[in-house]
Amino acid sequence: MIDNHPIMPPAEGTKPLDLMIAVMALLAGLALGASLIADRVATNWQSGLSGKLTVQILPPAQGTADDGLKLETEAALKVLRATPGIARARALSMREQASLVSPWLGQDDIAAELPLPQLIDADVVPGKSVDTAELKRRLKAVVPDALLDDHAGWMERLRDVTGGVIWSAYGILLLIAVATAAAVSFATKARLDAHRDMVELLHLMGAQSAFIARIFEWQYARAAALAAAAGTLAAALFFIAIGGMDSVGIEAVPFLPPLGLSPVDFMFFPAIPLSAGLIGLVTARLSVWSAVSKIY
Amino acid sequence: MNRGPACRYGLPMVRFENVGMRYGSGPEVLRDVNFVLEPGSFTFLTGLSGAGKTTLLKLIYLAEPPSRGLITLFEYDLAVAKRSDFPALRRRIGVVFQDFRLLDHLSVFDNVALPLKIAGSRTADFTEDVRELLGWVGLGDRLQAKPPTLSGGEQQRVAIARAVVARPDLLIADEPTGNVDPEIGTRILRLFNELNRFGTTVLIATHDRALVESTEADEMRLVEGRLVQLRKGRRPA
Repeated sequence: MIDNHPIMPPAEGTKPLDLMIAVMALLAGLALGASLIADRVATNWQSGLSGKLTVQILPPAQGTADDGLKLETEAALKVLRATPGIARARALSMREQASLVSPWLGQDDIAAELPLPQLIDADVVPGKSVDTAELKRRLKAVVPDALLDDHAGWMERLRDVTGGVIWSAYGILLLIAVATAAAVSFATKARLDAHRDMVELLHLMGAQSAFIARIFEWQYARAAALAAAAGTLAAALFFIAIGGMDSVGIEAVPFLPPLGLSPVDFMFFPAIPLSAGLIGLVTARLSVWSAVSKIY
Repeated sequence: MNRGPACRYGLPMVRFENVGMRYGSGPEVLRDVNFVLEPGSFTFLTGLSGAGKTTLLKLIYLAEPPSRGLITLFEYDLAVAKRSDFPALRRRIGVVFQDFRLLDHLSVFDNVALPLKIAGSRTADFTEDVRELLGWVGLGDRLQAKPPTLSGGEQQRVAIARAVVARPDLLIADEPTGNVDPEIGTRILRLFNELNRFGTTVLIATHDRALVESTEADEMRLVEGRLVQLRKGRRPA
């Protein structure tokens, strides 16, 4: 039986190149996952605060604090519920308020002994806006100690911060993508250099540049894609493990929100090996054309 | 590309006019070389080592451009021919390289079949032809062997089979009998004669006087880069 052997020689001595591509793909996968998490966290922060108003009623300095605070809270709730555009207004219980300050004061009963202001949480009807200046004036009229916070200033700063986080993450992702592309391109050129004699021979035998490029480009594209797939898989496994820790209540990284990715997020990951394969293919083709053009 | 014109009887296959060649800024390796290879001719290119034989062959099989002068190949003036025409011109030339230039990872069969694959032929269409040719050069039982496992003489025969398998219009061989015993050398010469009889123009570079004297083919001699002697012999039978 005649062996219809492919013309391309088997890859030899390319393990370091494959390892380099795999490591760069791992970094690209981590950067991609981090970008997606940053984007999700920033969106959650913003959506968690948008459409909300908070009224803070400071406790009176003297007298029967509890009674006065309760009366003022009732009065403020009445004003809020009568305001057009407010869907719901609710005073937070002492337990809820204590839990809000627990990260700073701990789980003890210290909060109960402190003169904490009463917080009222109000939801704005989706799509409606509230005249906060008028609401502030009406609240002041019945509860002089009331402070209305529509989170506008905080939201503005949050938007700036999250925008910075997201763009930084995408910037890092872009840099790593460029470095990965350069690594794949370098590896492909190094492979081609090892086969320069073969390229020259095929050229002298009358092979068109496209014929020579076809011999190399698919094998190089496949090698780059497989190496990148290994690195990307490792990055994906990392995020699956982190997500698993979060889901069983283990905080993977203290003070940061859950770092797991959603199934939709993982759908972006195949782009890394596909891009690596494409870069390998294009680099091989351009390198062959360049090498052939120098031969005569 | 139309391969018709060069096959017309009487028009030169290769024409060199005042061709000079130097590598980089080095001395001229070839100087004012003028000759014509007629279609169907059989010519030896002789000369001592370093006389410029391999360089002259490289100019013909389009591995190097000349430093000066005009080369016409299959009626194409190479000075004005488009680069995109070169692959088709090269496919009309079979070359036996002095160092064989076999692909070590390919079997003997696949090395020989390479020009046919480059020309776009399907494996099924040439399998028998390649087998037959390899049988003819005495390698019928080594189809699947890899070049590194072959002797120098066997590698040379694979290189020769590869050069002739596509029945080129012009066959160029650089010292084709350098590594083979006299019996195989005679056999190779017979193969070249056979191809020549079917119309292939043959140019063999050699310093093997016995080989040159064994036929009455044309001879061109290179001495220090100049083509100084032309001997017209009779065509080989």
